[in-house]
Amino acid sequence: MSLNNLILLTGRTINQGVALEGGKTTKENVRAAAICTFDKEDFKKLDCLVGTPVKVITDYGEVMVYSTISEEGPHKGIIFIPLGPWANQVVNPDTQSCGTPTYKGMKAKVEVVKNGNVLDALDLIKTLKVA
Amino acid sequence: MVERKLRTISDVICPFCGTLCDDLEVDVDIKEETIVEIRNGCQIGTKKFFSSNPSGHRYTKPRIKENDSFKEVSWDEAFDKAAEILISAKRPLLYGFSSTECEAQSKGVELAELLGGILDNTASVCHGPSLLAIQDVGAPMATLGDFKNRADLVIFWGSNPVHAHPRHLGRYSEFVRGYFRKDGRNDRFIVVVDPRNTHTAQIADLFIQIKPSEDYELLNAIRAMVRGVELDEKEISGVPMEKIKELVNILKTCNFGVIFFGMGLTQSLAHHRNIDAAISLVRELNDHTKFLLMPMRGHYNVTGANIVFAWNTGYAYSIDFSKGYPRYNPGEFSSVDLLMRDEIDASLIVASDPASNFPAASVKNLFKHPLISIEPHETPTSANADINFPAAIAGIECEGTAYRMDSVPIRLRKVKDAPGKCLSDKEILEKLIEKIKEKKGE
Repeated sequence: MSLNNLILLTGRTINQGVALEGGKTTKENVRAAAICTFDKEDFKKLDCLVGTPVKVITDYGEVMVYSTISEEGPHKGIIFIPLGPWANQVVNPDTQSCGTPTYKGMKAKVEVVKNGNVLDALDLIKTLKVA
Repeated sequence: MVERKLRTISDVICPFCGTLCDDLEVDVDIKEETIVEIRNGCQIGTKKFFSSNPSGHRYTKPRIKENDSFKEVSWDEAFDKAAEILISAKRPLLYGFSSTECEAQSKGVELAELLGGILDNTASVCHGPSLLAIQDVGAPMATLGDFKNRADLVIFWGSNPVHAHPRHLGRYSEFVRGYFRKDGRNDRFIVVVDPRNTHTAQIADLFIQIKPSEDYELLNAIRAMVRGVELDEKEISGVPMEKIKELVNILKTCNFGVIFFGMGLTQSLAHHRNIDAAISLVRELNDHTKFLLMPMRGHYNVTGANIVFAWNTGYAYSIDFSKGYPRYNPGEFSSVDLLMRDEIDASLIVASDPASNFPAASVKNLFKHPLISIEPHETPTSANADINFPAAIAGIECEGTAYRMDSVPIRLRKVKDAPGKCLSDKEILEKLIEKIKEKKGE
């Protein structure tokens, strides 16, 4: 029910692009960007159904997102979260003094949380304001 | 049934990605002043045009936050409050500018200079490393038409245009027929280098699956092999030696090659060193054949932001005016680094959503201080701002100039009026500058 030693990548997907243009605060954006895609074989090890919430944990934070199987596999050991507020909870803010954070290539682990609560964009970002 | 009266506008420029497609046709309902149909656009561009129609998340009036809720105010009141915030700030940050037109970007530079603030655009978090590398070792580039007409080898390295630049393949790089590539896709060899078997990779002739963050090693291995060095390794960056040899042979024997590179190179650990190696490889390949490269720019006018900032200040991004003259130092004056050090005390965000797109730790510091947002739609940034200025969408509701990813300027068209009391980004910045000058007694 958990996987360690994964590498997290983030990036654009067309669904995420369509959703952000359609409204960043909509449910459509949650469905498009609050997801973590797994390699098919890795996903079997999680022993859960597609859509089950998972907690993605890196050295920089953790975030709850929905799990799904990648259409762009195989990519064993790699997980992918589309760019957006969910991915940015767990990316490496270090820019190596060049201005650009390291959005790709973080070590990550994943835990299945069957009753996990995946927040929408506004609620997720609000947690940063309170903290 | 009531018949709709439509106005059709052709040759419309799509203000979504750096491909800046210029062949869209838009039908606008004359009575409602809403967009009802878009032809030729990709999924994302089409959605952007439709999102300009009035909706629950489109702003139409200026708003100020009071006691955790927004109240609609007059433009004058909003400008007055924004001017006060910006004048009293010691280190204001002006960020965004990539999804708006050049005329607004130019006003952004003027405002940053007037305030002695920091000016940055979204290249800071995407192709900033490309700009650093280009400043170091140059950029062997061409316009997209050259690739369309001549390229017989197209490499996408760390770039997934099927998702990020959906019509790039059809207009410039893969399927399109060119003057010397009359058979389109059949006349081109497509290579994709990526850690994932992306949808772009799935339609390529050769897919090189590389280990994440090991592009620098592979690029330099290829450079060595192009020079004829034999490497005593079984694999490099997870790629078997035979496959690298095959790639090197393809690189050296093509007639006209191009590397389109994306965030896979700029946002992984080696950042600008990756681009440095890629440019050096391209330079060395020109000893054997014709080779060029091109960054796949994301926002439709991020190239324009770099160009406008550079011709006004000498620098493309990460510019500090605190000493009265522009200084440039990514890592010091770049937005994420400033926020991570909690150095700013107010921010003005123009046509961007850093709350969604910056790492969480930096967003926490952004929210600690007054935040002004110029934005057409509700976003996590604008929802947490202290002042919202409702903007007309450039390229849909107002004209302007934008630069395509190959630095070709194209005039954006207006297809409809903006809803409510929206002003263009340029008008908002102009009025803000006037108000600040008035308050400062200049």
